[in-house]
Amino acid sequence: MSARRIPWTLLIFLALLPLPWIGSRYQTFLGTEIAIDALFAVSLNLLLGTTGLVSFGHVAYFGIGSYVCGILMKTYGLPFVLAFPAAGLGAALFAVVFGFFCVRLTKIYFAMLTLAFSQIVWAVCFKWNAVTGGDQGIADVPFPNMHWMASLPYVGDLNINGRFYLLSLVLVAVCIAAIGQITRSPFGRMLTAIRDNRERAAFIGLNVRAYELSVFVVAGGFAGLSGALYGIFNRGVFPDYVFWPKSAEVMIMTILGGMNYFWGPTVGAFVLVWLNQEITNYTQYWPAVLGSILLILLFALPGGILGGLARGGAALRRLLAGRGDA
Amino acid sequence: MRLRHLLAATAAALLLPVAALAKGPIKIGFPIPLSGPTAVYGVPILKGAELAVADINAHGGVLGRKLKLLPRDSKANPAEAVRLARELIVKNGVQFLAGTLTSAEAPAVSTIAKENHVVFVAPSAKTYELTDPQNFHPYIFRTASNTTIEGQAGAIIVAKWKNVHTVATIAPDYAYGHDAIAAFVAELHKLRPDIKIVDQEWPKLGQANFTPFITAQMAKHPDAVYCDEFAGDFISFVKQAAPLGYFKAIHDRLADGGEAGSIDVTRTLGKAYPLGIWTDAYDPVLWDGPNQPPADKAFDAKVAKALKIKYGSSWAIQGYVTIQAIAQGIRKAGTTNDTKVAKAMSGMTYTTPLGPRTFSAVNHDANAGEYWGKMVRTPKFPYAVISDPTYYNPEPAGH
Amino acid sequence: MTASLLVGQFLSGLTTSMFLFLIASGLSLVFGVMRVLNFAHGSFYMIGAYLAWQVVTWLHPVGEAFWPAALAAGLGVAVLGAVVERLLLRHLYGLDELYQLLFTYALVLILGDAAKYLWGTGQLSVHRPPVLDGGFQLVGNTVPYYNLFIIAVGPAIAITVGLVLSRTAAGRMLRAASADREMLDAMGANVGLIYTGMFAVSSFLAGLAGALITPMESIVPGMDVQVIVQAFIVVVIGGLGSFWGTFWGAMIYGQVLSFGILILPEFSLFSVFALMAVVLIVRPWGLFGRPIR
Repeated sequence: MSARRIPWTLLIFLALLPLPWIGSRYQTFLGTEIAIDALFAVSLNLLLGTTGLVSFGHVAYFGIGSYVCGILMKTYGLPFVLAFPAAGLGAALFAVVFGFFCVRLTKIYFAMLTLAFSQIVWAVCFKWNAVTGGDQGIADVPFPNMHWMASLPYVGDLNINGRFYLLSLVLVAVCIAAIGQITRSPFGRMLTAIRDNRERAAFIGLNVRAYELSVFVVAGGFAGLSGALYGIFNRGVFPDYVFWPKSAEVMIMTILGGMNYFWGPTVGAFVLVWLNQEITNYTQYWPAVLGSILLILLFALPGGILGGLARGGAALRRLLAGRGDA
Repeated sequence: MRLRHLLAATAAALLLPVAALAKGPIKIGFPIPLSGPTAVYGVPILKGAELAVADINAHGGVLGRKLKLLPRDSKANPAEAVRLARELIVKNGVQFLAGTLTSAEAPAVSTIAKENHVVFVAPSAKTYELTDPQNFHPYIFRTASNTTIEGQAGAIIVAKWKNVHTVATIAPDYAYGHDAIAAFVAELHKLRPDIKIVDQEWPKLGQANFTPFITAQMAKHPDAVYCDEFAGDFISFVKQAAPLGYFKAIHDRLADGGEAGSIDVTRTLGKAYPLGIWTDAYDPVLWDGPNQPPADKAFDAKVAKALKIKYGSSWAIQGYVTIQAIAQGIRKAGTTNDTKVAKAMSGMTYTTPLGPRTFSAVNHDANAGEYWGKMVRTPKFPYAVISDPTYYNPEPAGH
Repeated sequence: MTASLLVGQFLSGLTTSMFLFLIASGLSLVFGVMRVLNFAHGSFYMIGAYLAWQVVTWLHPVGEAFWPAALAAGLGVAVLGAVVERLLLRHLYGLDELYQLLFTYALVLILGDAAKYLWGTGQLSVHRPPVLDGGFQLVGNTVPYYNLFIIAVGPAIAITVGLVLSRTAAGRMLRAASADREMLDAMGANVGLIYTGMFAVSSFLAGLAGALITPMESIVPGMDVQVIVQAFIVVVIGGLGSFWGTFWGAMIYGQVLSFGILILPEFSLFSVFALMAVVLIVRPWGLFGRPIR
């Protein structure tokens, strides 16, 4: 019980830190995307895996984050240090309002209401030309001011993309560590209790809705932070970042990695982004490949990659143990 | 002294892989819509670009190197175009970017070109914002026309119509539509202060159902309409408007600045084409009149042969001249270094089958005009054609 | 605002409504009986449109090739739906709704690419059937005969399916299946067959709607994702699982969109979404649905 936990976040963070120096420009580019997607997926998994809430509209908070950050930085010229937290706060604020109505529903109705709210956000972003740029979004969102990095040893040699990778990696690592803390806290254990048996949790006096709303807001806030990074990474924010297929995409990432594992979504983000790059080298039919992966997951590997590995590991151990007995 | 030798040796060692790389082809990334309603324009632009690459390579390439085109389907979606442009640069190592179709995609890709110091030439996006002082950067170029020229040309045409007191507009709800309509309205107010704008409809790009917009517009009884629907959207618009009696109600007094006179559109609409409207094309291809330059006649024949479609396309010319302009810039600079090529292209005059065009030294805009005219059917051609195509830039040019 | 204007805008809204009803009714039926929110319903609609184009092209675009093509499209998509249900979806019934949602999304991805592979990425169109060419005058508006046909077909199908659901033995079984699957199982009814039939009927409606839209709108990749969003709004407003609710949901959607474009053009798209939000907040089970636990 008291065995010291392995600080996975720190280890993974340290392992990924040297990428801009040893990897190519392309690998750094992919690394940035994976880090941002990983945060988005981990935030979704707070709902999906930890609490058992199937949100099909998580993209709303991701999109709100990217628009808030993009608008503040591009239109109002605010610095990143203000725009970034504002994106998280803005997304969390919307999550309070939408979540208030969503948590009153359960199961498929919850999924649908979250989807409906995300579509409303999309419609607003798509039509509000004066503020969101409408259909064409907002191009040319500036990079954060990273001149201060020039004075740092080694970091000073990196180009702007390398520096943005480091900045994203640090922010994502901090966020993921925070989400990890939340999951392991008493609050997180209550969420798991709700997931395992909602009725029983309510019966023992837990205010289930209050817990669900809290986690909905927290997850929305972190999704907003990842969205803020995503907008800057892509140098613009577009209505596609709030459109429902992106909700499905992040859900696939989460399930691909394994939603019952804290690191599942991260593994899923890595595998999906990497697969996409590899497969699009050979065929334009990436969506069909993604759909097929999804079918395999649903029918053959419901626990995702980590679930499959765990099962495989257990089987191997049994096999070895069996040999030992013989 | 010794230090300098050492530095030179190091520099040489560092440059060696670059020199080895230089033997490969010069790669040009080409994100363009190849699916969806705008593919009607996107596909022939790409075909034209491929034809230019084939022509150039057949004559020994540029600076002794072949050109290589890397086309990608941008789906007329700015988010997708940005993703593809960056991937083309960091993953595929393209030295130049060309393409994009809509005025939503081009400004987004322009950002990427600016950041990565990659020359980007837009063959189709017309929003003036692409090269206005706020968004201009040394690496952006445009062979397309622009919304200012188009809107003014449209106003000049509409202003001449008799018995027109009220005008309505319909245009896609994004940069292109808004900027072109604004230019049109401003010019029309100057030419004909008596004309009132009675209705403005803004369906989205890729709108499937135009009916409510059409009926709402007809209810205002405009005498004439200025329209910026283009590509597949124009086709859908016409197919839904004609049965509702739209063109009859305005006595076919509609001017469209979205290249609806392109043979790619007239071919698709066939007998359903609304005759009597005024519209434009970069290259009318089927010239109902004596004024087609011989160079263009030869070019169109070449396109038709390469595309294996009778009469070819009105859009291939935009892809073709875009690649030719980049090649000419590289030759002029004597290097593929983007910064030097961009300098060489600024103010450069390049030839097209329809005469020379010049990239402005101020904003790198070719300020190209287009060929306008009334759409008619003649026994000579199987599709509707532009009657007596006239080059407007923005004033009509004499033949 | 003149009477002519009101009538014109009402009719254009009504055409939209009846189309959406044709599409959304299948979505609603499947949800009502099987509790599956089928994202692939829009894909079935798209496949129907492509199939119609294909059959018209085979039969040559002369004469009345459109009618057999529409029927073939509906039936073809019905078969596709039945196969999908029997081979795949069936194995996911006991599981979390998350898996069913994702399964239908996988179908969206695969069918979208299959259509691109089979029919290319450009824009296809089908001519109006000659018998319905032209139109007539109504209070200063031209009403195309084809639009009139659509306005008639929507309610006709609604009434047919409504009658089947309320009057026949199969219909009673379906309603029982939606109320309590286990009990029906215990009674010995072949629930599996009912579900397959249900899914096939729903797919037929989607395929038919896809075929019927082709003379008015172009067939393009991406029409699947566009339409499913609209159908989703319709069923949410009307009440998921409620057949008549879907009818009224479609009516409301069409008119809000149509008059929205006339009165508040900047907010026309937003207004339907806002309406959906209000309905969800006030009556999550829809204006005409009943709460289901």
